[in-house]
Amino acid sequence: MKPNYLLSNQFKKIGWILFIPSMILGLLFVIFQFQPKFLDIKVFAILDSSVTPWDSWNNFFVVTQTNATDEIIGILLIISLFLIAFSKEKTEDEFISKIRLESLLWATYINYAILIFAILFVYGGSAFWILVYNIFTVLIFFIIRFNWVIRKSGKLAKNEK
Amino acid sequence: MKNNIRVERAIKKLTQEELSRLVQVSRQTINAIESEKYVPSTLLSLKISKIFEKNVNDIFQLEESDWKE
Repeated sequence: MKPNYLLSNQFKKIGWILFIPSMILGLLFVIFQFQPKFLDIKVFAILDSSVTPWDSWNNFFVVTQTNATDEIIGILLIISLFLIAFSKEKTEDEFISKIRLESLLWATYINYAILIFAILFVYGGSAFWILVYNIFTVLIFFIIRFNWVIRKSGKLAKNEK
Repeated sequence: MKNNIRVERAIKKLTQEELSRLVQVSRQTINAIESEKYVPSTLLSLKISKIFEKNVNDIFQLEESDWKE
């Protein structure tokens, strides 16, 4: 009847199947600097600079050497989190949609509140990692909040009978 | 907004689960409406009334507090 911009329900399962290995690889990368040699490749870069885009103008549109582990893990995590977050529930009705929107708003508030806190109180190399985690946290907060509220109202409904 | 879905359900001998299936929503939704945590859309209200073979006004009633806020 109305477009709701969501994926069909079966993508949620695919999301989880993709998420778990991506998360494990991500943890290996963060904790043990897991970067297999065969992923040392040359890539095309629109921009490749160490500090700011303007520190050297000839860093635009170049071919550069990199290890692709973090790129692959990052993209896998984003895609899998999107699949989990934005696939329809089995019965995606108006009440579920309301919880979905509320949770998205809630997750955005929480995410930026934590980010402001981190900007103020975290410095050095850790500040960089905060920004990296921030790529994923809105979606993670949303998924936790949404599923928690759905489950809570599900439990209530069971007790009602 | 008040409603007497629970009473109507008892008359029709329907569980929340059965009613939710009849009006094509989740069980959570029927539960949230019955416990007055959620105000259904016009469409869903009409569907629920249709199942109970009543007018919408017989199932859902405005309260004084609906005029404030």
